[in-house]
Amino acid sequence: MNSRYLFGEAWAIARSGPRHTAMAVLLIALAFYVPGLFALLARNLSRMSDPARDPVGVVLTLDPSADARAIAAKVAQDRRVARVTIVGSEAALERFRRAYPDLGAALQELHEAPFPPTIEVHLRPAVPALAARDLAASAQSWPGVDSAESEEAFARKFRDGVRLLRGAGFFLGGLLAFAAVLSVASAVRLALDLHRDEIDIMRRMGATEAAIRAPFWLHASFEGLAGGALSLLLLYATYRAAIHLLSREPHPVLSLFWVGFLDLPTALALPAVGAIAGFVGSLLSLSKRPKS
Amino acid sequence: MIQVFRLCKDYGPFRHAISDVSFNVERGEFVFLTGPSGAGKSTLLKLLFREELPTSGQVLVNGRNIGVLPDSQVPYFRRTLGVVFQDFKLIGRKTIFENLSFVQSVLGLPRGEQKRRAYQALKRVGLQHRMNSYPSELSGGEQQRSAVALAIVNEPVLLLADEPTGNLDPVLSEEIMKLFAEINIRGTTVFVATHDIDLIRRMGKRVLTIEKGMLRERDMARESLAREAPFLPG
Repeated sequence: MNSRYLFGEAWAIARSGPRHTAMAVLLIALAFYVPGLFALLARNLSRMSDPARDPVGVVLTLDPSADARAIAAKVAQDRRVARVTIVGSEAALERFRRAYPDLGAALQELHEAPFPPTIEVHLRPAVPALAARDLAASAQSWPGVDSAESEEAFARKFRDGVRLLRGAGFFLGGLLAFAAVLSVASAVRLALDLHRDEIDIMRRMGATEAAIRAPFWLHASFEGLAGGALSLLLLYATYRAAIHLLSREPHPVLSLFWVGFLDLPTALALPAVGAIAGFVGSLLSLSKRPKS
Repeated sequence: MIQVFRLCKDYGPFRHAISDVSFNVERGEFVFLTGPSGAGKSTLLKLLFREELPTSGQVLVNGRNIGVLPDSQVPYFRRTLGVVFQDFKLIGRKTIFENLSFVQSVLGLPRGEQKRRAYQALKRVGLQHRMNSYPSELSGGEQQRSAVALAIVNEPVLLLADEPTGNLDPVLSEEIMKLFAEINIRGTTVFVATHDIDLIRRMGKRVLTIEKGMLRERDMARESLAREAPFLPG
């Protein structure tokens, strides 16, 4: 079996049923677009809550004229507190620019610092969840403290939400990938039907089963690859369209997190998984000896 | 070349397609298998070609007991045979030349060798001038000659044909039989199943007659009707 035969026949199979090939590619693209969109949302949301970082328990927003060091020392005396971090206006701005490079540039034109100084309070892991709320309530009345908010519950909920989104993406992805596999399987079955005479001739002439099936495997894998690549293109188009829309009409929440596309491994995984789905689909339809 | 011993093929408990059939075909022989429709001719050919497995008995083709041949070895066994059917079985989207080179590319032959063999086979059936035609552009006789070319392109030791003239008029049928005779003269054993008694008589070759799955052998060459053998070359 040579590559000329293999690729030539795979191409011939695709050409013999162009509508079915296109339909299968489209279905695969759709099947991978939906979980891809979930992955995109989850990725951008997770930027706002990095689970690897030590979560902040309480955030004290200070009056610009307050003595941040003195307040930090006072907080640190509490036995429930593990450590405190003073985040000045400049540091907050720098952190924002690092997290959101696109949006950070827009803040350069401002004359005054857009972020007030804050103190981030990290609690000891063993303390109960209510401790953050207690600490925030008592700090609220301290001089120089504008506001004190417990972040832990929100951060946990946020992380749970992102996890749920990811899980939903995986579940839907699995479900739709299964549908994609079935659609490829039916497209391959149809191609088999269209090539029944050829299969008969090949078998009669002494072609091995592998030689007969290989072009179908290749064809289905390419169908999956093309479907995965198309879903990636659609996702990028969606991402760019959202960026365009948000730049014209900024949204207070969406504009904050909708800043990055899928990372390279995830993006490359789409066509790769598509190719695998196509191959599995062809295996399914060719599991029995193709009839001649 | 072919040794069949007490061969039986049943399709279920009450349908005996082949019953206790035994015969030998020597290397280089030309043998006809005849009998009425449903007598078991095609089943016997399928058994020789290992498209079917015998219920009992033994089939040896070219020294190989094909009843016990592992599935993985069947393609390699078939490469030593050529098969021609009533329906010409050509790939419609390929030219005749492409049809012939295609089957060889599946077998992994180098491109140069594919072309050489395809051209030689077409030359042998007198179709080299139509090599770039599609099957639909050929007459019935030309299509069947192309099918013969396809069957002999791998230079088989045994050529099996199942009603090869079933779709052809008498003139074209004679032409195909003449072609078979020429192939036989070059050393290929030819085994043809047909119900065209008239054609068989004129060829004057050995005849195996099958009726209701059972065999009776007649040597048509010795019969008076076979005095003339107009299609024998030379």
